[in-house]
Amino acid sequence: MADVIQPPKDSFQSRIKARYFATRRDTVITVVFAALVAWVLWSLIDWALLNATFAPNAGDICREDLHGGACWSVVSTRWRIVLFGLYPFEEQWRSAIACAVMVAVAVLSCVPWFWSAKRLAPLWVVGFAVFYILMRGGFFGLTEVTEQNWGGLSLTIFIFSGTSLLGMPLAIIFALLRRSKLPWIARTMALVIDTIRSLPLLSIMFTFAIVLPFVLPDGLTGDKLYRVIIGYALFFACYQAEIIRGGMQALPAGQEEAAKALGLGYWHRIGYIVLPQAFRNALPPTINQFVITVKETSLVTIIGFFDVMASGRAASGTAEWNFAVIEMYVFVGLIFLVFVFSLSRYGAYLERRLGVGKR
Amino acid sequence: MSFKIKLALATTALVATAGLSQAQVAEDSKLLEVLDRGSLLCSGHNGSFLGFAEVDDQGKWKGVDIDLCRALAAGLFGTSEGNLEIVPISWAQRWPALQSGDIDVVIKVSGWTQSRDTELNLAYSTPYFIGAFQAMAKADLGAEAIADLDGGSLCVAAGTSTERATATFLESNGIEAELLTFENGDELRNSYYEGRCDAIVEWAPSLAAGRVDAPDGADNHVILDDVIALEAEGIIVPEGDPDWLDVQNWMLSSLWFAELEGITSENVDEVRANPPSETIAKFLGVSPGYGDRLGLSNDWAYNMIKEVGNFAEIYDRNIGDGSPYGLPRGINSLYNAGGVFYPFIID
Repeated sequence: MADVIQPPKDSFQSRIKARYFATRRDTVITVVFAALVAWVLWSLIDWALLNATFAPNAGDICREDLHGGACWSVVSTRWRIVLFGLYPFEEQWRSAIACAVMVAVAVLSCVPWFWSAKRLAPLWVVGFAVFYILMRGGFFGLTEVTEQNWGGLSLTIFIFSGTSLLGMPLAIIFALLRRSKLPWIARTMALVIDTIRSLPLLSIMFTFAIVLPFVLPDGLTGDKLYRVIIGYALFFACYQAEIIRGGMQALPAGQEEAAKALGLGYWHRIGYIVLPQAFRNALPPTINQFVITVKETSLVTIIGFFDVMASGRAASGTAEWNFAVIEMYVFVGLIFLVFVFSLSRYGAYLERRLGVGKR
Repeated sequence: MSFKIKLALATTALVATAGLSQAQVAEDSKLLEVLDRGSLLCSGHNGSFLGFAEVDDQGKWKGVDIDLCRALAAGLFGTSEGNLEIVPISWAQRWPALQSGDIDVVIKVSGWTQSRDTELNLAYSTPYFIGAFQAMAKADLGAEAIADLDGGSLCVAAGTSTERATATFLESNGIEAELLTFENGDELRNSYYEGRCDAIVEWAPSLAAGRVDAPDGADNHVILDDVIALEAEGIIVPEGDPDWLDVQNWMLSSLWFAELEGITSENVDEVRANPPSETIAKFLGVSPGYGDRLGLSNDWAYNMIKEVGNFAEIYDRNIGDGSPYGLPRGINSLYNAGGVFYPFIID
């Protein structure tokens, strides 16, 4: 087309006018909603920042002015309980470093350079080893801190990483077994997946934490923490296996047939043709599954773990701070927000990079 | 008197004398297991329970139940320092955790109910705390009794004995009120203060603690006089272990005995140096017998009092006048102060 008529470039003002104030009704709606949003935002800022009390140990000031702003004093006084739970006070630096190491490992494994089993596997092995040595102690002159005293953010991160790292390979195995050519393997796997999926996560955790020691021989029980992570990983794997299977089934059958025709063996076909594409197809629901997994770690509080959530409740659960429950929940909520939001943004980055939904 | 009867009497006397100085602890008793292990696994909380199990700024446990754990550990090992592990457990988890051996004893303000005592195979010590369930209502409703709340709604904690007791109370008094249940104490209280129900039913100490922090001021809430139920809170051990249960009972008795005799953590050393009576000398381990019979060292009660004090000290420090709660001791006092508690006889 030779003569494309360029529309006249709108000024900012005219665009605003056309979009929000075109008719009298539009104007009314815009003004009302803008006022509403401004009012909500203002009250929020007023509560959270302007009228808030930030200084540590200022519980009495907050108490006298209960209708005023937020009492962040509870956080500035007792944040260490939220982050470290019941970990011995003098040793909490260990928990802090362990936590940072785990986060660093997670961030590093998001960098494309690490995306091969040869680099990823040692990274995580080293990460877990450093975490365990720091947290558990008993080596290198560090005093021993048993798993039941682990708590706060480091425990939540440990449960999440343990579950994902154990659950992901398990999910791939489950998905492959589920698609086995041998009907009895495929059917049995389907039955296992469907059974575990139909049980509530809470009852699975309860069973692994509390019922299993009655059933297993003494030598096999291990610490409650590891049993719960295994149970959770199994649960995660069953959901994730179905997500991966969905990704596999979206592939045209011709791809695998072509690979066969080229003489590729089973593991090559799966490793180089099927799985990479299946993961690309299944990326959005996989990120979804991870997000759910982060949040559901807080269920472990019902079997007596001092995760971030339980620690938050312990932090506000004293005579001095019992009035500041909301502030404590907001703080715990912010911690979850930071993790889940970064996870979602990373997912969005991956989708752009892999062109999910475009190719 | 025939020779046979004389012999029998002599044997009995001999056994009785031997029994005085020798503990008869069963080999499979938890007591020996705990002493061998060198540390006591006691129940904590997965969060906090006001006044009974809280976490201080340094992440250390405190509260009435925690102090009883400390007393027990001090009695068993001389000091609780390094000999006590507080295992955080949830309400739902306490019985399975006890049965599976994750903890040795449940000291977690747990009411003595028939189903727990019989069907769950638990053994209760003598109660150490009496908790009354009462209702707190909004003052502007003008209610003076729960019957005045007919047609309204009550907030209660889910799955606890409170829920059952409240339902029974409403039924037997012909009161029609809706029960709203909540899993978590904060939620329960907030729902009440936000007006989702007319009244809240809780254990009296919790009500008093909550009322102090009422967002619209304590004056706007009244605790109604009706006692919906009484709950006798005891220490729980697995059934079929009388030796371990004896230790719990005599620990509580010792704390009350010390209170009755005016022995505190401050003056216990002086009293021990100069025992005013033979009973007190025995109690503090100056003369032998008080510990031997239980399979403990004879100064176990002294170690306990030295570390945590008598029962009055434990109460005041955690929920009484020495704490922010300032809860009057009332029915939880000793018998000579209008309460229901008393020490057993030391002979």
